[in-house]
Amino acid sequence: MSPELIANLLASTLRLATPLILAAMAGLLSYQVGLINIALEGFMLAGAFVAVAAAFTFGANWLGILLACVVGGVLGAVFALFVTQFRANLIITGLAINFLALGITAYLMQVWYGTSGTFAPEEVDSLANVVIPIIHDLPFLGRVVSGHSPLVYISWIMIPVASVFLYLTLPGTYIRATGENPEAVQTAGISVTGMRYLALILGGMLCGLAGAHLSLSELGLFRENMTNGRGFIALAAVYFAAGKPLLAAAACLLFGLFEALQFRLQAASDVPPQFFQMLPYIVVILTLVIISVRTEWRKGWS
Amino acid sequence: MRQELIEQLGNIAKIILTLAAALLLGAVIMWATGQDALNAYQVLWDSAVGNQRNIANTLLAATPIIMTGMATLIAFRAGIFNIGVEGSLYVGAFAAAYVGFTFVTAPGWILIPACLLAGGLVGGLWGFIPGVLKARLRVDEVVTTLLLNYVAILLTSYLVTGPFLVPGMANAMSAEIAEQAQLPRLIERSQLNAGFFIALASVVWVGFTIRRLTLGYEIRTVGSNPVFARWSGIPVGRVIMQVMFISGFIGGIAGAVQVMGVNYRFIGGFSRGLGFDGITVALLGRNTPIGTMLAALFFGGLRNGGSTMEMFTQVPRDLVDILQAVIILFVAIDLTLTWTRLRRRSSGPGSDAKAQVEAQPAEATS
Repeated sequence: MSPELIANLLASTLRLATPLILAAMAGLLSYQVGLINIALEGFMLAGAFVAVAAAFTFGANWLGILLACVVGGVLGAVFALFVTQFRANLIITGLAINFLALGITAYLMQVWYGTSGTFAPEEVDSLANVVIPIIHDLPFLGRVVSGHSPLVYISWIMIPVASVFLYLTLPGTYIRATGENPEAVQTAGISVTGMRYLALILGGMLCGLAGAHLSLSELGLFRENMTNGRGFIALAAVYFAAGKPLLAAAACLLFGLFEALQFRLQAASDVPPQFFQMLPYIVVILTLVIISVRTEWRKGWS
Repeated sequence: MRQELIEQLGNIAKIILTLAAALLLGAVIMWATGQDALNAYQVLWDSAVGNQRNIANTLLAATPIIMTGMATLIAFRAGIFNIGVEGSLYVGAFAAAYVGFTFVTAPGWILIPACLLAGGLVGGLWGFIPGVLKARLRVDEVVTTLLLNYVAILLTSYLVTGPFLVPGMANAMSAEIAEQAQLPRLIERSQLNAGFFIALASVVWVGFTIRRLTLGYEIRTVGSNPVFARWSGIPVGRVIMQVMFISGFIGGIAGAVQVMGVNYRFIGGFSRGLGFDGITVALLGRNTPIGTMLAALFFGGLRNGGSTMEMFTQVPRDLVDILQAVIILFVAIDLTLTWTRLRRRSSGPGSDAKAQVEAQPAEATS
């Protein structure tokens, strides 16, 4: 492989990992507050649709991103309302939100824009790429790191932000405490419900960004079910990392690399593309097994 | 006895209310987006049950959903959140197709049971994997079954684009199964086939198992009170593995029936959520075999009528997905309310928090 090919591969790895990283940061907020967030997929899909629809209606991409974020947050609040106030089952509610996002986006695409499958308005351009001043001119690094959509860089910023928020700020600490021991948190006079709302709303907003990246960063179009299981890959990364931001981001980069390889190798080799698509899921299942075996081992196989 | 009857009637009333509320909300969405909701429902109704052929197509659409519903239900009864029926359905469908296009010289009376059995066994083994992981290593089944769905879809789609690709076919599909392996059609101008009776048999079998067999008693006890189950000597781990195998087995048969009765070959990505429809109907049918079957028939009508509605009105069939989501949300709320009330009645308000925890069997187990 020539250096140029490698640079291209790494650059597309970064682009493909971006929605995973953003959604994984959302997923680990839920994980830390003690909830499995199956609805990442639905939040993202809604965000992707809203981003394109708003960019098309208002003629401004930044409004698209903003509204994707808002709608993600609102869906997060709805999810929180169901699982806290209504005490609905987490998994069932999560599945329902995914169906809702899938159904509503496809429905509105057809009713509003009269197309089914793909909505690709000519008026919507993809986001302008960011050129990092000095780095861009460096031979190898420039090609890998510079010239991506702004959302790629936002996703990088979100990794330390999530870390600092969870481990160094008060609300973040409360969120983790809620996951560890809700009764103790309640006794300390902190609202468990409030923390769950906070984690899910912030998560919804991050997923909105992830969706906006999918629809606006590359092409400026929405495709039915364009998230295509990425929410679950992000969830898998969270489980792989047991809720740690840095490790989760690393897992997302790895899964992004798998995805990038799958496109490259499809033409050039005998390795079937499904193999790379399958890898994230298998890696995570094996990780879960290893984690469980270790925990059980420590407990002495009670 | 009378108490039970009143409770049953209450359940039925609730289900009808849920459906009515969902349809009303669907109508609001249609009106808000400038559609003629009444006309859309009229067309939906007509194309679901309007004439003999439409009814047959509704039963056809309901066939796999009945089975995935039964597969989900039996796991739910044991307190296991198996959302991996979709995966079992895929691998089961492929296994059935494989037997069907490989042993083309075998007579039908051998080949049909062989295909079904292959589908069931492979689907069962697929469900058995997360079952063992849960029972022996305490790996949470929600995440593993969910992720294994994707593995199953990708694995089978690899098999039909790679090793079992039919030369000259553009799409990912296997060769056609032998003619004598195809399930007989029941009426003209509809694909409704004998698979419907297999679906009905699964309802009877699941109902019988849960109510009459020792295994059913064990399943119910493990589901309602695992601690008591352990203390009364029920091998909880073994029951979990058995249930996951049975659940996968029924899911696999559902896939096999789609291959043998409708497509006559394995088509990559053919299901589009039949396993998830099973979850919906099991919830809507309140985890009872009859209720789940009725819910599946209702959903068969929605799916079948939805496609026709899309052709004859401006309303896209994705409306059905929206209705499905709304129904699940309503059921999710209602289930918890019922749960909490039962708990309160039996042991006072103190056990409230516990009911919450138990009603959410899948909270992060970190």
